[in-house]
Order: sequence, then C-alpha cells, then structure tokens
Amino acid sequence: MKLHTLLIAVWFFILAPPPSFGSADRNQVHLDSIRADFVQEKHLKILARPLISTGIFAFQAPRSLRWEYLTPVPSIMLMHNGKLSKYTKIDGQFTKQRGMGLDSMQFMLGEISNWLDGRFAENEMFVASFPDEQTILLKPKDQTLAGLISKIELKLSDQRGILDTIMIFEGSDSYTRMTFSNTVINKNIPASLFTQK
Amino acid sequence: MKLHIFCLSTVMILLTSCAVEKQRHLPNLSPAPALEETSCSAAVFPQGKWQFIHAIDFSMKNGAGTAVIGVTSLSRNRIDCALITIEGLTLFEAAYEEEKGLEIRRAVPPFDKPLFAEGLIRDLRTIFQPPTGGMQTGQIPGAITVCRYADNMGRVIDVLPEADDCWQINIYNSEMTLDRSITGRSCRNNGSAQVPEYLELNSYGQTGYTLKMTLIRADKL
Repeated sequence: MKLHTLLIAVWFFILAPPPSFGSADRNQVHLDSIRADFVQEKHLKILARPLISTGIFAFQAPRSLRWEYLTPVPSIMLMHNGKLSKYTKIDGQFTKQRGMGLDSMQFMLGEISNWLDGRFAENEMFVASFPDEQTILLKPKDQTLAGLISKIELKLSDQRGILDTIMIFEGSDSYTRMTFSNTVINKNIPASLFTQK
Repeated sequence: MKLHIFCLSTVMILLTSCAVEKQRHLPNLSPAPALEETSCSAAVFPQGKWQFIHAIDFSMKNGAGTAVIGVTSLSRNRIDCALITIEGLTLFEAAYEEEKGLEIRRAVPPFDKPLFAEGLIRDLRTIFQPPTGGMQTGQIPGAITVCRYADNMGRVIDVLPEADDCWQINIYNSEMTLDRSITGRSCRNNGSAQVPEYLELNSYGQTGYTLKMTLIRADKL
C-alpha cells in the first residue's frame, strides 16, 4: 500500500467513531450517520505555537463522506457512490488534487464498516487496548506505520458512540489533537453534502 | 480568412515565444544611483528570528502535485523546516546550518529522497537568506532597480527589491539562463522586512516545478 493510501486509511479509521466500547458484546448504538465540527491542533517542536485548523466531518453509511477543513487551508475530501475526490483552495481557488487511489477508498470503507458493526478491535492496522472506560489506545501492527505514528489515543464522551478527542502521537514532541463538538448522530444527511464543494 | 487568422496567430505565438525567451536570459545592467546592499537584503530577506507558516501548493510540469503546510523557522544562519499534511501528519522535518550542513529528522516517502531535501533547503535559502558573493547595483530594462550577486558557482542572482508591490528574485545559471524565479506579492511591512502574503517559485527546465506559497502566519520570535 502506498504511503498516502496508508495515511488516508489511518485517518478514516480513527475518524469513523466506534459505536461501542471494547467489544461487540456490549450494548451498542447503531451508527448510520454522524456529523461533527472539529478543531485540530498540531504540536511540533519547531512550531512556536500550535497550528490550529477547524473543519467539519460527516459520514453516512455505507460509503459517503465529507471531510472538510475550513481554516487555515480550505480543503474538502468527498466520497460518494464509489467516487473519491479532494480539493484544496490555493491562491483563492479550489483545485482538484490528483493521485487519490480508489484502492485506498475500498480499504477505508472496509474499516469504517467494521466500526459501524461494532467490530472495533478487528482491523488490519492497529492493536487496541482499553486503559479505562473512556479511553481506547491504538498501537500500529505494521512497522512501516509504526515509523509514522507511535500511538493513537481515543477519548470517548459520556454519550455512547461519540468521540470527544483523538490524539495522534508521531514521536515524543510531535502530536495532533482533534476535538469534536456539535456531534449529531443518525440524522439523515442530504447527499449533496457528499458531492458538492 | 481562416488562413490569415492562422498566420497571424502563428506570428503572434512566435513573437511571444521570442519575448519570453529573451526574458529568460540575464538582462544587461545599466548604471543607476547608488543603492546600498542593505536596501536589498533588509527589504527582501527577514532579519533576526522568524517563523513562517505557508500553505504550499507544489506542482510538477506534468500536472502532478500536492498541497501541504510548510513551517520555516529562521535563526541567524540556521533554517528549520517541516512539511505537514493538511490533516496534521508530519511528512518531512529538517534543519540546515551553514557550518553543520543538513540534518534530516523525519522524511516520509516520497519525501525521503536525498535530492528532495537538498532541493527544499536550496529553495528555502533562496527565499529567506541573502545571496553570497560579490554584489553590484544598477537598473535592468524597465528602470527596475537590481542588486546583482555573482556567486562562486558561476550563477547570477538578481534581487529586485521594488518589483510590483513586493519583490522578486531571479537566479540565472552559469549559462546566464533563468533557472528559477521567486515572486513575492502583496507585501506587508513587518518590522524591517517586506513579508509577502503570497510567494510563487518557478523552477524552469525539464524537471521544472512550481511552488505557490500562501502565508498563513508570520511570527517574529
């Protein structure tokens, strides 16, 4: 798998939230759709202060997604009916990004389906552990991926099936924190959200 | 009628090509009122410790490319840099110091090729550090003020501190043909330096590429 495929797959994996904690045996909330705002903080040793990004995330089962950054670099990834596209706004105009492979989409959809079916621990990429009731810790199985991401920490909110924060650790002094808010689940999302810039 | 239009178009294309080709050769430098070197270096190149964050759109001649966020920290003769995806993953991190050379801290494929790191540092040095070598000042056609540097590799670097509303840097190879150009637009006065809101770097030749850099923030450290 190419690196960009792997990275996209990682993001889809962590952004598609777990419907239950731990295993499929627990009471689950079936997730057909989810929409949330997010704030992303990038921490890196050389950064004088964290780089803050904001955006929205929306997913509708079985295979529709909108992953949009509003600031500081407007960027939209759309997935619907088997088509994946990404646009980035540079110099005032949205430009379509090339090189987004369909192989990655198939992989990601498989991972998301696992989450939605409550098979959280069943994935090719990470070993999951559960330090406490609110936390899921993911460690990469693959050495290539481990060279990029040392661990991922998911914090669940009190509302079942909802993620509060994601922490992605690259190394000792580099991590990304995503905090979700205004999360709405299982409310029908118009298809246009997944097709229109 | 169609033949006339075709001939006219052909002539226009040829004329345009000649004009562009002419611009790609080192223009003559004519005498001009004395210009201090600091007028060039201080106006164009940031002095002291700075951190710049840009949205960078990289595109090759064949249309391939990607968009990333670039972090550049300047401190005396040292440049620290990082490339981060919009989604927050670090693709590349390195430091360059005149005395110590290049130190790559992280390089994720396809950014792990040695030529990539060298090219990136070369571009950053061109954008943010004053050229070395002997300097003379003058004017090029169009009455444009220039600080012209000749480095020890036979290249000539023209720094135009007052091009349009900002500045421009043109690098000519040893054959005096334009190799790279950097154009700053919408400069804002930030202390002593003119910080462009937008930078465009064009590299010419068979492996040419373009970097479009939109300033996200500039911090004086």
